[in-house]
Amino acid sequence: MVQYTFYFLSFLAILSALMVVVSKNPVHSVLYLIITFFAIAGHYVLMNAQFLAAVHIIVYAGAIMVLFLYVIMMLNLNADVEPHKSKWLKFAATITGGLLMIVLIGALRNVSENAAAGLPGNDIGLVKNLGRVLFNDYALPFEVSSILFLSAMVGAVMLGKKEIK
Amino acid sequence: MNTLIILSAVGVLALFSEMLNFKKALGAIILLGLVGAFAADVMAWNTNRHYYNEMMVVDNFSVAFTGLLIVITFLWFIMSPDFFREPSSRIDHFALIIFALIGGQLMTSYNNMLMLFLGIEILSIPMFILAGSNKSDLKSNEAALKYFLMAAFATGFLLFGMALIYGATGSFQIQNITQFIKSQQGNIPVMLVAGILMMLVGLAFKVSAAPFHFWTPDVYTGSPTVITAFMSTVVKTAAFAGFFRLFSMCFESSSATWANTIWALSALTIIIGNVTAVYQTSFKRMLAYSSISHAGYMLMAILALNQYAQGSILFYATAYSISSITAFAVLLLVSHLAGNDSIESFNGLAKKNPLLAFATVLAMLSLAGIPPLAGFFAKYYIFTAALQQHYTGLVIIAVMGSLIGVYYYFRIIIALFKSENDDVVIPVNNTFKVFLVVTSVAALLLGIMPQLVAGIL
Repeated sequence: MVQYTFYFLSFLAILSALMVVVSKNPVHSVLYLIITFFAIAGHYVLMNAQFLAAVHIIVYAGAIMVLFLYVIMMLNLNADVEPHKSKWLKFAATITGGLLMIVLIGALRNVSENAAAGLPGNDIGLVKNLGRVLFNDYALPFEVSSILFLSAMVGAVMLGKKEIK
Repeated sequence: MNTLIILSAVGVLALFSEMLNFKKALGAIILLGLVGAFAADVMAWNTNRHYYNEMMVVDNFSVAFTGLLIVITFLWFIMSPDFFREPSSRIDHFALIIFALIGGQLMTSYNNMLMLFLGIEILSIPMFILAGSNKSDLKSNEAALKYFLMAAFATGFLLFGMALIYGATGSFQIQNITQFIKSQQGNIPVMLVAGILMMLVGLAFKVSAAPFHFWTPDVYTGSPTVITAFMSTVVKTAAFAGFFRLFSMCFESSSATWANTIWALSALTIIIGNVTAVYQTSFKRMLAYSSISHAGYMLMAILALNQYAQGSILFYATAYSISSITAFAVLLLVSHLAGNDSIESFNGLAKKNPLLAFATVLAMLSLAGIPPLAGFFAKYYIFTAALQQHYTGLVIIAVMGSLIGVYYYFRIIIALFKSENDDVVIPVNNTFKVFLVVTSVAALLLGIMPQLVAGIL
């Protein structure tokens, strides 16, 4: 059962991710992206990370998507306004991307299944355990990331405000 | 750790300066804060303490590189204030630069992949913003957007690599990964190799090594010159500290899997950086390509990884940063008057402003690696370290690259002594004069007594 769900979710994720790239209308791309995010959230649930799945849906499918749609609306991108890229560029990009994929698949194909280190226990993804790890072991990164957000905020204000003449 | 706290406090204090009305004193406060941070950093010498569940380790390597980053930032603050005319944008700029410095400090002292990632991001995000801080200039906007998109892509590779490494080893902790690699006894799982190579791509982007260098010329040229000066010194040094720390502490025992890749990266970077620099007509763009080529030389230390490698990469970063910041400082003054940053605008500087010309000559000679300046011994140490590991072919390529380098650095020096008709003397204030004298003397002093820096690691 779990295995079938896994295959179904993976298929859905890859298919809709492809559609994000292929579809001409940017609004459609965004909608396919939402499907991708939900499929990935499903993967998190399969791996016993319920909290992560919930946050993923709230943040990505909720907030980030609204932001995307907002930007598309502001720029008034409807259909077929994407700048024309040269055929050679597309060709080269496909070849290099495909090569990277082949190399990675070829390299990782033979990885033994137990290579991934065993997860410690089934309840690893519950909020209680996550909080305990976050505020004990990972207290320093948690605090330091506030500097990251602070600098992003200062930057947004700086770029957004009017120059005083 | 105290350094981190002091720097964070200074950064937050800078943001409050407008509200609490001490804008005028801000420059002095920041300089004092940097001195304090430097003192705290030096006090941690030889203590080798581990913080917060092994998240951060303050060992001598991190103390030395953090000290270097703070010193360059200090020099940057002495050089830059005149170029932010508006006091309000000064505050933002200064706070962001301090935050970027914090990111750089984390990159020198991380002991967990997560801290490395946070350090890279804290260093990069202020840089994206500062690259675009000249809002009315289209080139500056382009630089910011290009830098942001490319760096986001490279960060994707870095994260993918970290995920694969976690999948193979089950840990983000540097020691655990090292132990895992050692316990495999040469039989390293493919997933780990893929992870290491992915991380290599992300880090090679950060240090602008070819073929991941395409963003560098445009971003360096488009950004305001003060910001470019910071990027090519502090950001580059921090990126190399993080790169070296990861590969020397964590992946050393698997070096057979990535040594060839770094060999090729280094050779490509040296060739492409030096050859392309020859064709540039803009001084700023030439410095961008020269910074790419210097990344190639520093990669040789990561390849060598013997007992000389640490000292040599520290000395190289010091020599390069000091000469580079001098060159950018002169460019700031010259381009401010000339209105562009072409090499021609340096014509006749020797007659008009002997001090500026003198500092430029020393900086160029040091970057080219002419004895007895710091740049010569920097190259000498790095080449020696590589030769001891029998990378003779790479050293030959590097020496040829340096010879090409001599050609384009001397073009600047020749331009300085060309006769020019207009005699507009560039006004230089006293702080700036002191700055130029200090950096020039430092380049000379490090050339005469290289053991001062190279010997401490």
